[in-house]
Amino acid sequence: MIAYTIYLPQTRELLKNWATELNVYVPTMVEDGFYEFRPWNGQVEIAWDYDLCYTTLKRFFLPPREEIISFDMKKYAASPVIEAPKQLLFGVHPYDIKAINQLDQLMEMDNPDVNYQARRDNTLIFGLEPVHVAETAFWSSMGAASVDFGYDLYWTRISPGAFFVQVGSARGEEMLKVGGPVEKSSVAQKEAARRAHLKVLAEAQKHSLKYDWQKTPELVNKFFNNQVFWRERSQTCLSCGSCVLVCPTCYCFDVKEEADDLLQKGSRYRQWDGCMLKGFAEIAGGHNFRETAWERYRHRYMRKGKYIYDKLGELGCIGCGRCVKACTARIANPRAVYNEIWEAIKNEV
Amino acid sequence: MKSDFSHYVPRPATLVAKKELNELVTLFEFVLDSGKPLAHRPGQFIQVSIYGVGEAPFSVSSPPRTDHNNFELVVRRIGSVTNSLHALQTGAKIGIRGPYGSYFPMQKFVGQDFLFVAGGLGYIPIRSVLHYMLRHRDEFGEITVLVGTRNPQERIFTDQLAEISRRKDVQVLETVDVPDDKWKGNVGVITTLFPKIRINTDTTSVATIGPPVMYKFVIQECTRLGIPQNRIYLSLERHMKCGVGKCGHCQINGVNCCLDGPVFCYTDIAGLGEAL
Repeated sequence: MIAYTIYLPQTRELLKNWATELNVYVPTMVEDGFYEFRPWNGQVEIAWDYDLCYTTLKRFFLPPREEIISFDMKKYAASPVIEAPKQLLFGVHPYDIKAINQLDQLMEMDNPDVNYQARRDNTLIFGLEPVHVAETAFWSSMGAASVDFGYDLYWTRISPGAFFVQVGSARGEEMLKVGGPVEKSSVAQKEAARRAHLKVLAEAQKHSLKYDWQKTPELVNKFFNNQVFWRERSQTCLSCGSCVLVCPTCYCFDVKEEADDLLQKGSRYRQWDGCMLKGFAEIAGGHNFRETAWERYRHRYMRKGKYIYDKLGELGCIGCGRCVKACTARIANPRAVYNEIWEAIKNEV
Repeated sequence: MKSDFSHYVPRPATLVAKKELNELVTLFEFVLDSGKPLAHRPGQFIQVSIYGVGEAPFSVSSPPRTDHNNFELVVRRIGSVTNSLHALQTGAKIGIRGPYGSYFPMQKFVGQDFLFVAGGLGYIPIRSVLHYMLRHRDEFGEITVLVGTRNPQERIFTDQLAEISRRKDVQVLETVDVPDDKWKGNVGVITTLFPKIRINTDTTSVATIGPPVMYKFVIQECTRLGIPQNRIYLSLERHMKCGVGKCGHCQINGVNCCLDGPVFCYTDIAGLGEAL
């Protein structure tokens, strides 16, 4: 493992350097207790100890609305639109890196999505070891407390004024040395980073699944036909789609288009969509394959708990707890849902 | 492997001919501007763009052929894209992506008898398979075609069906749910035709396409006749928006209908709660 020690005053110089060649985004407090990634401009105060950023980082790779082709209605020609600004996400927690790693694989699978890949290729990710855990989070029990890949650098605060920075890619190391040589970490500093990880892990484990996450696909699949359970849980669902909007691993989209007022040129774009919205599975003529809220609700937990697992070998839920916060009906809590299923099956004779 | 190829860019095609089949349904014949064949297989679908209006998925209704490169879509007027399609004049352009998805495994059917069960507009994609078989008639055994329509006014391809009925080597049976004064044929849902067919269930494969409600009953009838489930093929309708397995709209449980479907062997979806 290659690692360096960076002192707090150095970070400002580094950020200045980085900001000259790419758009840098950092976590900052936007309202009391609410954190977001915002562009770093020298004035923004970095929230090194943030617990959770409310909106997810998927927007940097899969923007809420993204033009994918432009067309000429007279010549009937179309060409791809691929935009990929150079960007750096500085301070990403491991569970969010895991979510991005999943998106990377899903967008590569079958038919590679060039729009996504172009953005991803132009993005550097500097991870950050959390020091606080959101009240709604349960990532430590979803196999998302640490990641082996998906970052260019990984920062752990080992004292009020120092970071242990692990190198994840050559490009990351280059960025670290952009202002001159940096100090190699000592064994003691590495140990301090390990302890910092264990400390936050202990806090994270206060909210967890009651069983090993690997059992989730089998458990949730057993419950697929348990209509009573899904109907009861989703009784107050407003089908508002908040849970999918804030989910870092949800990537469904709709395809729409716009033409100019002379009907000569136009563009087709994709826009975030969500399987919890009523019309999502509707076809021409009005038949809806997930007509009711409980079917849509079930689909979400099946997708997170089984379908993504079948593709990637990991759960589609990384336990960030964003949906738990976002749901106004207080029913979107994967930890509660999966725990309840586990309890029910455990007690079956 | 990385490339700059975007799956989302359509290719231009030109409307060569159109023919009204009934009040709402029209047959369109297109050719790609590249002059190349569409290179589809029976059962596959394409994404059709009308720029400024939108894009929608359609099954290709014509069989793959080698004598010319035109292909046919049959479209019911129901939404914005389909209404715009109906308004097109010969020579007009559209955008095409695809062909996409799975198809009927024609090689597997060689030497087999075949039963088609088409409900309503399900005849449109079925036609691609049926006409493929008629074009290679000597490669297949007995062919039986069941066609069900809501009422006589909504029947499509009446001339073609009449022509096929006259052939000695194809058995065609038709029914309507609600007859009018002139209708002399069978009345009732499509399963009422099953008692009338004579097929060898040991050598028969089935292709069935129709409205969502139809499948369960057709599969029941096939099972009653003794046709094994691994010889029943069907095509499922979903609204594929991207066509390449990303957007999530066509998902059936964990399966992407645009990649693994629309054509499925029944045994592949029998365990999926959201399929039928």
